Amino acid sequence: MASISRLPCTTRRVPAARSLATVAKPSKPVLSTAVILNRAPILTPSPTVFERAFYAYQQRIRRALHNPFPSEFYFKQGSLLEARFNSEERYRERVAWGPGYVKEEVMSEERKAAEKAAIDQMALQDRSDDKLLPRVHPSDRVRDYQSLDRKGRRNLYLLIRDTGHKTPWEFPRGLAAQDELLHQSAQREFLAKCGNYMDTWIVTRKPIGMFKPRVPEQAPEKITFFFKAHIMAGQVRPADSMKDFMWLTKQEIQTRVTKEYWEGVKDMLSDH
Amino acid sequence: MPQHSPQRIARSLTRFGRPPPIKKPLKRNWRTRLPTPHVKIVGREFTPCRLEDHYHATLQEDAMYMTYIHESEPRPAPRQIRLTHDPANPYSRFRHNPPVGGSQLGKKPPPPDTPANVVRLEKIVIHSFMKQAIGGRSNLLGLIMAMRALSGETEKGAGRHAVSGVQIVHGKKSGAPMYDFLAQLVEFVLPRLKDFPGVILPPPAASDHSPSAVSGVVSLGLDPAAMAFFPQIEVNLDSYPRPYGMHVHFVTNATGVGAENRARALLSGFQLPFTRR
Repeated sequence: MASISRLPCTTRRVPAARSLATVAKPSKPVLSTAVILNRAPILTPSPTVFERAFYAYQQRIRRALHNPFPSEFYFKQGSLLEARFNSEERYRERVAWGPGYVKEEVMSEERKAAEKAAIDQMALQDRSDDKLLPRVHPSDRVRDYQSLDRKGRRNLYLLIRDTGHKTPWEFPRGLAAQDELLHQSAQREFLAKCGNYMDTWIVTRKPIGMFKPRVPEQAPEKITFFFKAHIMAGQVRPADSMKDFMWLTKQEIQTRVTKEYWEGVKDMLSDH
Repeated sequence: MPQHSPQRIARSLTRFGRPPPIKKPLKRNWRTRLPTPHVKIVGREFTPCRLEDHYHATLQEDAMYMTYIHESEPRPAPRQIRLTHDPANPYSRFRHNPPVGGSQLGKKPPPPDTPANVVRLEKIVIHSFMKQAIGGRSNLLGLIMAMRALSGETEKGAGRHAVSGVQIVHGKKSGAPMYDFLAQLVEFVLPRLKDFPGVILPPPAASDHSPSAVSGVVSLGLDPAAMAFFPQIEVNLDSYPRPYGMHVHFVTNATGVGAENRARALLSGFQLPFTRR
């Protein structure tokens, strides 16, 4: 659930400047735009222990109360497929209700053995060598923060850093030009910083949030507007000055940015 | 193919052994003779749902940003342009006291944007009309089975007598079955339809105040040919006497002016294609 503070409706009341002749007028604020580039989750989240217990309980309720499956509508009477389905269904019932619940079918020993052999034969024929891929990618194990395959269950965000001057980590940011709309400036600066080697989509023309760091007296205010974007394909190739980039989850961002910056941006990031 | 064992989720964690011994027999329904549990049993989500997770992880946030309308201060109270009955007056106290000029449903602005009313899918209704059912009820059986296969439920499955003939109406409740149907539609059915460019948008000149534009419901019709592409019907297509077309309504919580556009924005996030003629 989105929190209220993520809505870009926070209108901060600016204290009215005193209009005395001796006080110098504060100069215009410096506007810049930043893009929060998001890689959406590529795997489904893993259920928690509580969720697993809840689903198991609900599945038993559902099994107890659901409509009986119309097996005669889907299987020919006495066919091998029906026999296989019935044996699997008996197994599922046994798991759900315990060993004593399921009644064995009245059937001669030879027939039972023949059916089992046929079902095993079918299983052999249907077997494929396809293996499920692991949910943990190799890039997770080697801590490759630049890989887009890492942390498949989480939302990842792009952080970059100017390695030359050892600036702190931040979202790709650039100054807005005169006579330029904010969303155009965001697009231009983003491509200049991160390269044109990826498919991205900036979600809205409206900024999703704003960050205003504390500045010394008389200095112009610095205001950063944030825009949300998604990456569809490709990878970041930063310009020369910007060498370093990382794909991080919300929690990993907290440990890498300044406290003031974190307080300003944390509500724009997803906990999922 | 591996054996279709119950989901690992259901097996893990808790071992359900033998049920506890019943010391006092349960009350039985006098008509059906079935036992009545002494607690109210409620069925809820029984499995994680991929599209619902996608909605919460990505779509909800994007939909909020895309449909957000900034209002700097609370809305002013509506102007009192006509006299209304005094509610303190005992004569008019419990009487119908409509606003002058009607409810102006088509002109109501959407409610102020809050985190709680971000546009979301509430239910999907599918229904189908069958003319032959007027002649003989048995013609409905195939359609009932098709609706059951599509929706996974039989409750309120068939036989609502609507304006003309018999209509099969089925409301799909929110949750996993709803999202499963949506996933099947956009992943199996629509890509395989011939000459389907997408759901046709109304022309730009269409009124923003029509009842359909302010209701937050997106509707589309599926040809009979489309039914064969649903995987649960494809497996035994021969069992159905004929293919059936259907109407699909995606009901969202959006209301007010522009509600249908907001619903479309949400559904395009689930990859339902829209196009102009």
